[in-house]
Amino acid sequence: MIDFSSPRHRSKFGYLLLAPAVLLMALIIIYPILLSVDISLQDVRIARVGADREPWTTENYSWLFNSGEFWNAVWVTAKMVLTVGGISLIIGLATALLVNQRFRGRSLARLFVALPWAVPEVVATVIWAWMLDSSFGVINWLLLRAHLISEPIQFASNATAAFFAVCLVMIWKGYPLMSIMLLAGLQSIPEEQYQAARVDGANVWKRFIYVTLPNLAPVIGVTAVMTTLWVFRDFAIIYVLTQGGPIGGTTTLSILTFEQSFSFFKMGQGAAVGVVTMIICAVISRALVGRFASSAH
Amino acid sequence: MANIRFNNVQKSYGPFEAIRNFDLSVEDGDFCVFVGPSGCGKSTALKMLAGLEATSGGTIEIGGRDVTDLGPGKRDIAMVFQNYALYPHMTVRANIGFGLKMRNMDKAQINAKVEEAAAMLELTDYLDRRPRALSGGQRQRVALGRAIVREPSAFLMDEPLSNLDAKLRVQTRSEIVKLQKRLGVTTIYVTHDQVEALTMATKIVVMRGGVIQQIGTPEALFETPANLFVAGFIGSPGMNFFRGPVEVENGRAVTRFGDQKVTLNVAPEKLSGTHAIFGIRPEHMVVGDTTMPGAPVALSLVESLGTEKILHFPTPKGQALEGDTGIEGSDDAERDAQTMLARVIDDRRYRDGETVHVALPEGKVHVFDPDSHAAL
Repeated sequence: MIDFSSPRHRSKFGYLLLAPAVLLMALIIIYPILLSVDISLQDVRIARVGADREPWTTENYSWLFNSGEFWNAVWVTAKMVLTVGGISLIIGLATALLVNQRFRGRSLARLFVALPWAVPEVVATVIWAWMLDSSFGVINWLLLRAHLISEPIQFASNATAAFFAVCLVMIWKGYPLMSIMLLAGLQSIPEEQYQAARVDGANVWKRFIYVTLPNLAPVIGVTAVMTTLWVFRDFAIIYVLTQGGPIGGTTTLSILTFEQSFSFFKMGQGAAVGVVTMIICAVISRALVGRFASSAH
Repeated sequence: MANIRFNNVQKSYGPFEAIRNFDLSVEDGDFCVFVGPSGCGKSTALKMLAGLEATSGGTIEIGGRDVTDLGPGKRDIAMVFQNYALYPHMTVRANIGFGLKMRNMDKAQINAKVEEAAAMLELTDYLDRRPRALSGGQRQRVALGRAIVREPSAFLMDEPLSNLDAKLRVQTRSEIVKLQKRLGVTTIYVTHDQVEALTMATKIVVMRGGVIQQIGTPEALFETPANLFVAGFIGSPGMNFFRGPVEVENGRAVTRFGDQKVTLNVAPEKLSGTHAIFGIRPEHMVVGDTTMPGAPVALSLVESLGTEKILHFPTPKGQALEGDTGIEGSDDAERDAQTMLARVIDDRRYRDGETVHVALPEGKVHVFDPDSHAAL
């Protein structure tokens, strides 16, 4: 009988306690990943449990790297990550700085800043789809009334307009997370650093550059990773708003994965897109986390 | 280098008055310490001088210039904070040079000044490290470096030693004093530690509840405290207090300590009431000299620090100072009013429970008004 309380065996007891959780994690995370890698290496139309195995092939991947669709999706996704990530970082930082000030009604303002985050994605997108509608949407109406445009913008049929419409909704949905995280970051900056900078003669702008931003860098890094991954994997907003159209103008990697698998029933190709997306995401987050973690104090 | 003046400065937060009628003049080159229990307004006063807090009334002058409405960066002061407030993402070099950079000094000149300050503080080997790679004492020196490199007209220090361990604190204490003497820059130093105040200051400002209690040299505060609070706050261990009757004998005021008659150094006409509060420092008690008039007391506890001993014995019956004594917040606020201390430097061994002869020398007894607590 092993005495698990003895110093020699204590770590064994720890592993024993961890084992169920690790097994569960393996079952719900590792197994599906392995399964999709497996499917991506077979010529599968519709994956069925118990179906005969197809022989392993790299055909899906060679299709992938030679198809215009895939490279278009990579390009669309990259544009979207940069646009959504960049603009929601700016809006998030601005709103976080705003609601970090002391003023009357600050808690209400904080609530409003966070509100879009609390609205379910599909609900928010449906509302935006109505507002962006080309014939009776409020946005076109406003732009027409303000004489900024002479005819309604066709958000559904103009590829550029559709792309920016998707970005708009994503930013609206995504900036509150940035704002909340950055607000937490701002609150953890010691007041004395600002006081020291003021005594040293730094004005508001220099205090922002030399105290606020460097102190926020780790939070910005983590939030950038989260937003990047979110844009990579977001499906609902794009699918509800444009279904990836027009002519692939808003087809990101996750839309392409879905299309290949469930619209064209080429699950092998769909799985290949998914696996490549996963690898890209892993590389990006490793790079960003590593970079910002090293700048953290 | 400059003198500093507070002219009737006030600070209130809504109805709460944090500082009242703060009047102070600090001469050029002075090392002035603001001391008092927490919440006494000493840090607020310093922050108003720095320009980090607005005044609610009165004016502040630095070097003859009214700075009341100037921002902190325009007051030509440097500040050292309790938690050092170093910029964590900058190297020691960048931290020290930050103030100069903000004043758009050119890089070569900044570097020369930083190197000079670093050499003075023995930080040369650490210039390219970041604050997190430094020990507490080194960080503290970087904070000092950031202040001295600017060559300001005044240093403001807000409890700069309280995050250091006891040994380092004593060492850094003397380093700061030496540095200040060498540079000759007027310094305002805030602390709650009366030992720091006594050892460092050329001028001490004792504060309590937003009001200045006494301003003076360490010696003056120790020898002639203005009131009961200052008497109890300054000195370690703190002054012993007891109540006693006031009588006049042969034209001189006397009181009683137990059965012993104690002659007072105060003119009888000053003592209006029938009783008063008396104080004597533990180091002024004379133990074991039976040639002096005194009283026998039974020791309740003997604390020996080698040659130095602290003897505890009960306050004579009915003479203990009960209730609001006005000395709360001092180092021994928790001290039992029923116990008095005597500090002796003596090779004789004392035992608990032993009866010894204790005398109160005539000139060493302080007398306080029982109502106003002011020294008489």
